[in-house]
Amino acid sequence: MTKEHTLMPSPHANDMIKKFGLESASESVQLLTAMISKRGANMEDFAKIVAQDNDLSERLLRAANPRATCKAEYRATTVEDALQRIGMSFALLLAMSDPLLRAIFNAFQTMLNIELTALPPKELTPLETEHVLGEVTFVGKTTGLVHLRLPCSAVPLIGERLLGLTPDDLADPGIANDVLGEMCNMVVGNFKSNLCDAGLQCKLSAPKIARTTDFKIQIVNGGTSERYAFRSEELEFFTDLSVNPWVECWK
Amino acid sequence: MSPKILSIDDSKAVRMIVQRAFRPYDCTICEASNGEEGLAVAANEKPDLILLDITMPVMDGVAMLAALKKNPELKDIPVIMLTAEHGRENVANIVSLGVRDYLVKPFKDEQIVEKAQGVLPLQPKPVAVAA
Repeated sequence: MTKEHTLMPSPHANDMIKKFGLESASESVQLLTAMISKRGANMEDFAKIVAQDNDLSERLLRAANPRATCKAEYRATTVEDALQRIGMSFALLLAMSDPLLRAIFNAFQTMLNIELTALPPKELTPLETEHVLGEVTFVGKTTGLVHLRLPCSAVPLIGERLLGLTPDDLADPGIANDVLGEMCNMVVGNFKSNLCDAGLQCKLSAPKIARTTDFKIQIVNGGTSERYAFRSEELEFFTDLSVNPWVECWK
Repeated sequence: MSPKILSIDDSKAVRMIVQRAFRPYDCTICEASNGEEGLAVAANEKPDLILLDITMPVMDGVAMLAALKKNPELKDIPVIMLTAEHGRENVANIVSLGVRDYLVKPFKDEQIVEKAQGVLPLQPKPVAVAA
């Protein structure tokens, strides 16, 4: 691995992280995104970083062997094979999804007391009727969007758990949208901080909340996308992440 | 006199959470929804503590903090950042301006109270006694 791809936070930054109890993304995720931010990514270095992270390696191999039902059926059996098949953009998307998923688990657990489990999206019923879409986009050294797709029944649940609001309170769309928008902010704000720490500085849009029946996953220009699904006792929902890590755009 | 806390956040939901968290304590909460409004409320109310978000319309939290620290009448009011943003560069910039503490959203009610108690002596609200 070339020296420029090692990550050395300054002692000052480490002191602050300790003092304020702040959290960073895993080292492999930071190294990969840092590599992209320096526009110096090559397949060999990329593969070495991925190979050091067992969880990321497994996810990459699963993504490169979508039809396999077990490891014995894998055609791409090494990280290098998997990278050749799915490309670095998709591998990076997998890496970037790690801090996003952690932010989702944390926000739902801390603010709503909801313990989520992630599962393959095909195991959930698609939200093909009207549902709530929360969108936050980001531009900068990487561009992309995060979509939270929740059933309409989630609105009273989130309002009640977050603030003790009644369905009557939430009949005001301003209040309902503010509650959902803040959940989006908490999730994507944390995700963005992890990207910035790895050198992918970016800025976020204000969250947009809408009702839609369009369940199609959106892809940012030149980017890749992935859908994630979550289940708890109370709720099932989806999150989409689309990223183009190769183009810098600040507008 | 009970301490006064100024909560500055563009999200009404967050301001409501702050109100709820401090309800059991003998303190007054005032509110603003952006940095510009926050500076005006701070000048009028002279709060004992400011809870400040970063990303807000009109004037963000970093710009407000910088303006607050330049104002001789307001610069000593302790500030706790309450935000989802915790990128190292951002935190380093904010710390250099001068903040007492930093709480990352999502947070539990008791965490924000604990952080405030590190700055202010908060007492439980006196129990009303029936005549």
